Parts: sequence; structure tokens; C-alpha cells
Amino acid sequence: MAIKPILHVIQRDFSYFFRYKWWIAGMLSMNLADLFIMAVVYTNMVNPNITKEYVSYFVFFAPGLTITALFAAAFMIGREINMEIRREISHYMLSLPIRRFELALGRVLAGGVRGAIYMAPLLATTLGITYLYTGVFPNTLQLLTILLALFLVSIGTSGLSIALALSTTSFEKYITARGVVYYVLFFCSTVFYPMPLIRSALPQLALIAQYNPLSCGADLSRTFLLGNPPFDPLMLVDIALFALIFASLATLAYMKVTQK
Amino acid sequence: MISLRRVWTVAERDIKMFLRYKFLLIMRAIWFVAQIALFGLVVNQMFRQDVQNAVGGSYFNYYTAGIIITMLYSTAVFIGYDIYEEADHGVIEYLLSVPVSRKELVLGRSIGGGLRSFLYVGPMMLFVLYIIGVSNVLQLLAAMSSLFLFTFGVAGFSITVAVSIKSSDRFDILMGVTDALIVRLSTTLYPVAYMPPYYKGLASVNPLSFAADLFRWGAGLESAALTPPLLATFGIVAFFSLFTFLGIVLHERRLEGGGWQ
Repeated sequence: MAIKPILHVIQRDFSYFFRYKWWIAGMLSMNLADLFIMAVVYTNMVNPNITKEYVSYFVFFAPGLTITALFAAAFMIGREINMEIRREISHYMLSLPIRRFELALGRVLAGGVRGAIYMAPLLATTLGITYLYTGVFPNTLQLLTILLALFLVSIGTSGLSIALALSTTSFEKYITARGVVYYVLFFCSTVFYPMPLIRSALPQLALIAQYNPLSCGADLSRTFLLGNPPFDPLMLVDIALFALIFASLATLAYMKVTQK
Repeated sequence: MISLRRVWTVAERDIKMFLRYKFLLIMRAIWFVAQIALFGLVVNQMFRQDVQNAVGGSYFNYYTAGIIITMLYSTAVFIGYDIYEEADHGVIEYLLSVPVSRKELVLGRSIGGGLRSFLYVGPMMLFVLYIIGVSNVLQLLAAMSSLFLFTFGVAGFSITVAVSIKSSDRFDILMGVTDALIVRLSTTLYPVAYMPPYYKGLASVNPLSFAADLFRWGAGLESAALTPPLLATFGIVAFFSLFTFLGIVLHERRLEGGGWQ
């Protein structure tokens, strides 16, 4: 396995990402609307006992915003790959002087890099908000841990979206499947509400919410930015497993499907 | 002279076309279930008792009614995407050649876009009404007739934007941004009373606020936080009239001449 061809694939997909400047502008405004409108209003309505460990709902939600953003950006690679398969652009990709494994791995990593880059300004916003409200700024090691965790979530999400995209040639079916995954993963996570609340409102789904990589990503960020929930190394293991499983699955599926 | 028969023919065609989007419709239904069964149930336990009292006793009921209005809005907007689909396949030129005037065409499309949205959201609306429990049927019927106008207005709005910008990418993003802002800056998810002052003004004149509060009033949700029904009805009539008029004017002027991207 050579690194250079993988970097070429990542570079290509990464430059393609900036073609969607309208999409990026739209997504950014939606993410910011969630934080600066919805979270601000909810802060005035939430029972303070529920968010007392996090200053306010606004501060609690800020790290969740980073996850929302990176998930949406990383998921976009699946839409492109689904389109490439339908329009047989994948045949052209196979004609490139790059081994299939390198091509497949490069695409999964590219999706992850896209998510991480898109999420960066929102992470900076989150850091600013949490610093403003709590006066706490993570040290270098904590910041690197957050970045690593978010990058792994991004890679896992990219793999998940590619695996979904390759499971059907129908764009509509892909969109439907994406919708199901998206809503289940987000609403059964701690992105929007803390874990004790999920345990009390939806005890049947508490286990999914606890091991959901989006929950682990959001809670790990909160651990270092807000001091709660306490750090649990299992969160990192959970995220790493998510990234490993879906990156491998997507790589194998991509190699198999493009050769059909 | 506008022929109602021809207007209905156009509307009927749009209603039939809607069934082609079966996967998108399934996705919207999944979104509805997830919003209510997951997000709604958890968020309901997150709010203070005074909030629950202010919204009529249960935030969950308040929220589900709001979700119905966001569903009506997002499905009525589909008509704009249809216009781009037709431009892409050259169907617009065909539509311009049929013996239907431009006014009839856009009026039919507004009505068709609104009606199909109502037909699709209908079963979910019944489910939500079952959860809330209807206390006054006449009140509900009055609210429903205004909601019909609301969906026609949204369809007219979508047509107006689609024929104004003539670029599917920009339309897609603009509708996404509009959706994000118009829903969050309305009373579909929360009452005006809990919004910061800088959002209150926009939320108070937002057509989604009028529609959501009118639906809640029709369903019998007694709450001081709602917009008065007469004011809400007036707001919806104004919204419908403005965008149906704009839709007709712009449709007539800009539909011909190509330039679709």
C-alpha cells in the first residue's frame, strides 16, 4: 500500500468539497440557527436542575453542534459515491493508476477529512462559548484528544455513509436510508439532551444512546470543555471501534461494488 | 377569464405527480415519527412546569401540533422542486403549449401544491388531533380552512422563489436556509414568550407562527401563549394573497425564455 495515491484521492475529494460552496453556506447557517436560535430559546425554558452541571442548555448544546456539523459534512461523500455508481463514473475511477484498496481507503479518509475541516470553525465557536461561560480552556493534550475523537467520528461517519450509498443504486432509497440513520443516531444520542434525561424519558433506548458514537463524541468534548460527564476511556474505545468497523466495511464494499 | 376547470386540471396533475416521490414521502414520515417519538418525548421532560402550564398543560401536545405545521410547510414547498425537475426535462415548454393560461397554470399549481401537502399530512394530523383531543369541531373546521390557505400560500411562495432565481442549486440551498430560519423563528417549536426580544418581532409576524397557533387553537389547546385566532387568520390570508399574487406575476413574466440552471 502506497501513501501517495491515497493522498491524491483525498486531495481530489477535498477539492471537490469546495465546489459545494452554496451547500456549505446553507449548512453553516442551519447549524448556527440551531445554536443561536433554538438553543437560546430552549435555555429560557429548560428546567435548570437538568443542566445545572453544564451552566445552561446553550452551553450544554454547543459541543453537540460540532458533532451535528461534522456528521452532515462527512456524510456527503456517500451521496457523491452513490451518484458515481449510478452514472458509472466509478468505471473511470477504476481506470486510474491507483490500486483499488488505496482508492477505497482514500475515499473513506477523504470523507473524514471533509467532516473535520468543516467542523473546525464550529469547534472554535464552541471553544469560544464554553470559555466565555466557564472560563475553562482545555490544555493541549485535552484539545488533541477532542480533535482525535472528532476526527475518528468523522471517519466512521464517512464509512457509514459510503457503506449505505453502496448498498443501493437508487438515490431515493439511499436518501431514505440516510434519513433513518440520521434521525435515529441524532435523537438517540446526547447531542440534544443529557443522558439522565434519556434514561428517564426513553429507558428502552438508553443503551443505544450510551454507546452511540455521536453521544461519545459529544460527551468527550463536554468532559474537557465543561468538566462533565467525567472522562471515561471507553468513550474513546467506542469511537475508535465505530471508525474502524465502518471504515473497513466501506473500504471492502467500495472495492467489491466498483468492480461489478 | 380564469376557468376553474382548467385550474383544477393543473392541480389534479400536481397531486398525481406527488405520488412519484414515494421514498421522499416515506422519509418525511420517518422524520415525523422520530420527531415525536424520540425528540418530543425527551424534550417534554426537559422543560419547567411553568413552561408546561404556559403552553396549555403539556409541551408534548404543543410540540406535536407545531411539527404538523412544519410538515405542511416542507411538503408544500416541494412544488418548487417539481418546477426545476420539469425545466430539466423540458416539460415547461410543453406546459406552456397546452391551452391553459399562465394565471390558471400558477393558480392550479399553488392549489395542487397545497392540496397534496394536506392530503399527505392528513393522516399524521389526525393522529396528532387524537393525541391532543379535539374539544370543538367548529373551531377545528375554521382553523382547517385557514390552514388550506396557508399551504396554498407556501406553494405560491415556493413557485415565486423557483421562477425568480432559476437555479436549482441556489433554490435548494435557499429553501434549506429559509426552512432552518422560518421554523426556528416561529412558534412551531416554542412560544414567543420564551424568545429573546430580538427574535420575538420576527416570530410574531411569521406565517408558520400563525398557522401553528391557529392549529393549536382549532385542536382546543387553551393557552395564553397563542396568537389570537383572528389575527392569525388575517396573517395567513395576507401571506396567501401576497404569494399567490407574486407567483402569478413572476410566473407570467419569467417562465418563458429559458435560463434554467
